[in-house]
Parts: sequence; C-alpha cells; structure tokens
Amino acid sequence: MTEPEPAGGSPPQDDDPEERDPGLARERTSLAWTRTAISFAALGGVVLKVNVITGLIILAIAPLVWELGRMSRIGSPQTGLPAVGATRFRVITASIVAVSLLSLLVALLGPATHGALR
Amino acid sequence: MSWSGLLATLRPRAVAKDEDGTEPDPRFTFANERTFLAWSRTALALVVAGLGIVQLLPPFPGVPIGRHLLGVPLIVLGAMLAVVAYAEWVRNQRALRRGGPLPRSIMPWILAATIAGMAVVSAVVLLASALR
Repeated sequence: MTEPEPAGGSPPQDDDPEERDPGLARERTSLAWTRTAISFAALGGVVLKVNVITGLIILAIAPLVWELGRMSRIGSPQTGLPAVGATRFRVITASIVAVSLLSLLVALLGPATHGALR
Repeated sequence: MSWSGLLATLRPRAVAKDEDGTEPDPRFTFANERTFLAWSRTALALVVAGLGIVQLLPPFPGVPIGRHLLGVPLIVLGAMLAVVAYAEWVRNQRALRRGGPLPRSIMPWILAATIAGMAVVSAVVLLASALR
C-alpha cells in the first residue's frame, strides 16, 4: 500500500485473483453483513419466546442491518468503496447495545416462563 | 493514549474528518469491515447465550440466583464487546490510512477472560447445587 490505487482499476497483470478483482473482498463483506442480519433475527426469535413485543423490536432490526449491508455494496464509482462511512458501524454498535439492554430487562423482569427447556 | 483522548478520536466528527494519510487498498478496508462484523456477531451470541441461560434453563436447585449469576454478565459483556469492536474498527482504519502498524487488539483477551471466568462461575454454581 505504498501508493493509493483505485479499486478494480489495477491492471490484470497479477496472477492473484484478489489482485485482479477486489470484488471478491466486496462479496465476502456482503456475506458477512447477511450473517450479521441473520444473527439479529435469531436473537429476536429467542426473545420472542420470552417477550413478544421485545422480540418483535429486535426482529425489526434484522431488515435494517440487511439494508445497511445492501447500501455498502453500492460503491462510489471513483474508489469502489462503500458510499457510506462509519455511520453504518455506529448503527450496528448502537443496535447491539440497545438489544443488550432490552435483553437484560427481559432477563431480570421477564415473565415466569422459567424452565422452558425443562 | 489517555481515555479522554481515545474518546475524542471516536467522536463521529473526528472519524469523518480523518483526512490524514491516503485511502488504503479497498481490500484492507473490506477486511477491517468484516472483522468488525464478526466481533458484532460474537457480541450478539454472548447476549443470546446470557438470555437463554436466564430465561430458558430450569432453575438450579439450591442456587436461586444461579442463572442470573451466569446470564447477566454475558449480556453485559456482549454490549461491551460491541462498543470495543467499534473503537477498534476506528483505530484500525486510521492505522491503515496512515500506513502505520495495526494496533494490538484487546478483544481476544476480553473474550478469553470472559469464557474462563464463566467456566469458573458455572463450575461453582453446579457444585453448590450438587452439594446442597
């Protein structure tokens, strides 16, 4: 990384497929966003068993994360980089902190469905 | 770096205005992004585990607060891990822009300490329940 090179603009002289096509890195990243959205949905499903409203709130975050991942696939034409910056990561972080607080409330004050796995 | 200095660098404006250095290879930027997302999923997994322990497990006989003892710290650590993951994403991206060495991550240490600590607490709770 001695000099900045535009994404996807490097000549295909190298044999490394990554070197020819940073789109692979973009695709892996896009899949990581999908996994993250699914993780939110899974947590929402668990909470749904305990508290329906809280579960629905957490489930609603999953499509938001999915949408953020979709946004990050749209790169700016000059750099090939996501057009949106650190805001996405702040949204994810804030979501997880909020979800943790909700989970804590549900865990401490939740209904007496204790022993659902009994 | 002092705590106030670290907090100052994490403010949204400070991140957006970080014009030092040059745009790194997009692959490095994407890799940093995936690392952040992977830690975020780890944080969510901790929250799920904590909530599941408190709400879905049957109570430990003789240890009435046993499930809370195990579950609540996991949920709190999940929230902490998410915040630290963001802080480290910012630090890594800044290091990439400036071509400097990547800072050491403290998250593996946090995770290892958490898992070891929870194993000890689990053993204590189970023993207390068995020896009741």
